[in-house]
Amino acid sequence: MCGIVGYVGEKPAASILIDSLKKLEYRGYDSAGICVLNDSLKTYKTTGKIANLESILPEGIEGTIGIGHTRWATHGKPNTVNSHPHLSGDVAVVHNGIIENYLELKEKLIGDGYIFKSDTDTEVIAHLLHSHLYGGIDGVFKLCDLMVAVQKTLLSLEGSYAIAALCSSDPGVMVVARKDSPLVIGIGDGEIFAASDVTAFLKHTKDVIFVDDDEVASIRAGGNVEFFDADGNPVTKETIKIEWYIEDAEKAGYEHFMLKEIHEQASSVQDTFAGKISEMEGAVVLDELNMSDEQIRHMTRIEIIACGTSWNAGLVGKYLFEQLAGIHTDVDTGSEFRYGYPVICGEVLTIAITQSGETADTLAAVRGARSYGCRAIAITNVVGSTITREIDSVLYTRAGPEIGVAATKSFTTQLITLYMLALKFARIRGKISAEDSKNLLVALKKIPADIQKILNRKKVIQECAKQFSDSNDYFFIGRHLNYPIALEGALKLKEISYIHAEGYAAGELKHGPLALLTDKTPVVAIATKGHTYEKMLSNIKEVKARDAVVIAVADEDDTEIEKYVDVVLRVPKSHELLSPILSSVVLQLLAYYTALERGCSIDKPRNLAKSVTVE
Amino acid sequence: MKAIILAAGEGLRCRPLTLTRSKVMLPVANKPILEHAIYSLVENDIKDIILIVGYEKERIMDYFEDGVNFGVNITYIEQKAQLGTAHAVKQTRDFIEPDGKEFIVVNGDNIIEPKTVSDLLDGRGGDATILTFKMEHTIGYGVVIAEGRQVKQIVEKPKADISHLVNTGIYLFNPKIFEYIESTPLSDSGEYAITDALQQMIDAGLEVTMVPTQSRWLDAVYSWDLLKANSTVLDQDHTSNVIGTIEEGAVIKGNVSVGNNTTIRSGCYIVGPVLIGDNCEIGPDVVILPSTTIGNNASIGPFSQIKNSIIMNDARIEAHTFISNSVIGSNNTIGSHFITDEKDNLKIEMIGMLHHADRLGVITGDDIVIGHRVLVKPGVLIGAGCNVESGNIINRELPPNSTVV
Repeated sequence: MCGIVGYVGEKPAASILIDSLKKLEYRGYDSAGICVLNDSLKTYKTTGKIANLESILPEGIEGTIGIGHTRWATHGKPNTVNSHPHLSGDVAVVHNGIIENYLELKEKLIGDGYIFKSDTDTEVIAHLLHSHLYGGIDGVFKLCDLMVAVQKTLLSLEGSYAIAALCSSDPGVMVVARKDSPLVIGIGDGEIFAASDVTAFLKHTKDVIFVDDDEVASIRAGGNVEFFDADGNPVTKETIKIEWYIEDAEKAGYEHFMLKEIHEQASSVQDTFAGKISEMEGAVVLDELNMSDEQIRHMTRIEIIACGTSWNAGLVGKYLFEQLAGIHTDVDTGSEFRYGYPVICGEVLTIAITQSGETADTLAAVRGARSYGCRAIAITNVVGSTITREIDSVLYTRAGPEIGVAATKSFTTQLITLYMLALKFARIRGKISAEDSKNLLVALKKIPADIQKILNRKKVIQECAKQFSDSNDYFFIGRHLNYPIALEGALKLKEISYIHAEGYAAGELKHGPLALLTDKTPVVAIATKGHTYEKMLSNIKEVKARDAVVIAVADEDDTEIEKYVDVVLRVPKSHELLSPILSSVVLQLLAYYTALERGCSIDKPRNLAKSVTVE
Repeated sequence: MKAIILAAGEGLRCRPLTLTRSKVMLPVANKPILEHAIYSLVENDIKDIILIVGYEKERIMDYFEDGVNFGVNITYIEQKAQLGTAHAVKQTRDFIEPDGKEFIVVNGDNIIEPKTVSDLLDGRGGDATILTFKMEHTIGYGVVIAEGRQVKQIVEKPKADISHLVNTGIYLFNPKIFEYIESTPLSDSGEYAITDALQQMIDAGLEVTMVPTQSRWLDAVYSWDLLKANSTVLDQDHTSNVIGTIEEGAVIKGNVSVGNNTTIRSGCYIVGPVLIGDNCEIGPDVVILPSTTIGNNASIGPFSQIKNSIIMNDARIEAHTFISNSVIGSNNTIGSHFITDEKDNLKIEMIGMLHHADRLGVITGDDIVIGHRVLVKPGVLIGAGCNVESGNIINRELPPNSTVV
């Protein structure tokens, strides 16, 4: 899990590479490096964040072509030697992905006399390139172009990669290639960018080309790019205009991206349903679904595949599909599904949920499901991401770029998409009346304003976070739709504040976890009104009897609950099925302010990366 | 050239609308007042903007972000304690002074047009230039006493009409102003005023000039002044741009704009100037009469009539309502048969004083829920978060979060 960048143009490459790497820091940040070509290769690398790298760079590095890398260690510790770019003679390479057969390749290269400096899998690529270019460790004459050397090298690699390579004997050329790791090319005015993610160069250009698996591209000064497929045949690629604007990736006055993104939910939620619902007709219009009414009626089961926060959203989806549309639904994590023995067939609909569209486990699991002949749809946030090119239909969340590692607006927009999908299925399968559907849509339209209301009153949540920020453990409990929200609340808290937190179905407390409760353990009880409200009250009493502190998330007009709990965090009164969206915003703010109080690195929590493109 | 926009204050006199956002974010012609200022600067090729924010700053930051969608580059500076205009400008010293260039200062809460800014730029002179607006009665405003273009004295809120040149609060400065800001004393009202810094410049013999303008410069002092500002801008700008869907049988006359994903259902009768935002559902059979703006994500039920009013985002208005000369805050849910009564020459109590309003229905804050068949008497202000149950007649101001059973 790493990020790579490359630049070929007329401006000094070093500062552009650093700038781009900063935008990719969410992909990993335990070490970083750049290599700039100007007659010879100049390489700078160090451990830590990009700012560390920036501080060791000398003034005025010349050269208008270069590559860079920010690393999140998989093979070998995060230290300077293991950080990229990796060199072999006059060849430099950066790589994101995992070379599965690297031990075998390494042995052979060592046999050929190559000396390995690092513990990484990537170094084999550098030496392989060198051996193809010069015929061996002692070779002095260049036998082929860098392009050809890359193509030859790729033949022996197994695993996943996005690479960018330079060679000082082939000046003015950068070669990039990809397989199963993201890579995108930006076409500027007389300059070309390459990166793992468009956000790296959006400031410079919005015209991009997505590199597909097994493709290689040769990028030359003056703005020329040529693409070739696995067999070396030239490929014509389509240039796509990216709609995101660069300010979306800036903090715009906020201290942290996470707080900015929490605030953006009022508008991103609205963008996600805009134009897709008709209140008067009680209808949801999802043309991009590409499914006939017949297909929707004959579906026997839904299999949701996701990881992390998206998995929590998927669990909400399960309750919705079952309750609204009467379709049996299972939710699996990508990493479990792909190695399991799934019992699925053609009438099962697979729904993959991934913010980035690049989550390796989810991608592999969906490929697996499709191999059984399942129809698969994706809910994702990134236009043109890998999953969108491998699937039957795509439902986009309109969250805009999410930079904070802790998912916020991507979660709530995923929920909105799931509500719309469930409602659409329910209507077509005749499981919900037009009137009930209309009422749900009326409440859905109110969600943006309801979120704004929570934001207006966030000081109460901040006070609460402060009060309990010293706790070592936190529990989150909820029932029915609020159970996934409890899981998500716990996940947010542990991700960014490093407090041990667990989410439980409230009815499960007595089967074990109750033993852990003391007067030092805050328990967050999500107790908005609904058919399980009374049950929640008895669970709260159960917890109070063990002297634990209870923080309730409750409706603004609930006057009963304050009798039983220590703190009440209010959410606007909404439809029972929709209130989980509002509760999750409250829990995001609770996690944010707790982390703030504890002085944690909120946007870049330790050991975590934004989109996990490794297994 | 860089511009500083002062947008830190609440706008106390615009309550209840400013309980949840500052005055600069109140909509005029479906755009926050501040956006009018930013647009006016962009049109004069001033794109480097420093926004001084404070009260409810998140609402401003969420809307404008880094400014790229508005063609500008915005830097936010938070003024933590609101100690006056000189104090606000002082915060920007590190951003402005190193350039050694002239810069412009604009009040974010006045409604201006591009010409207003170009009048100042074209007429500038001396070390500081004040843009003034000619007015018949200037009591209550800061005025400028000048000989020709030379400013002799700046008088804050005089008791008599001693000058007809109102200080618009729009200035062109060179960095010398910072020296005088440093030595500005705290005024009697407990603030550091930029006008005191200017007076010191004059007293020290520097050249301070003024440019009179008759271009747009509107000030919504009280919440009900928004209606006048709204109708003035609608009348002058002639915007007409229909993107949404107009069903067969709906009639549109005059300058009407309808936003993306909005549906105007059959039988509606809309007479411009009217602006309707994105994602709205209007009708069937709704009458919308001139000088009305409706924000985003609103729905208006059948057989309702709305005229000369501002309806903000996320409003949900049921059937058979009558709304006239009123401002409806965002996220209001209003039941059927809601009626706003209206009257001329009202006296409205606010902050312990009576104030005059020309013609007014009602003003409602954000997040209000009103049941069916509710009548509101003229000039009533309803605070944010109130809940009025069905069948009530509201004849006096409601404090925020009150419930009327």
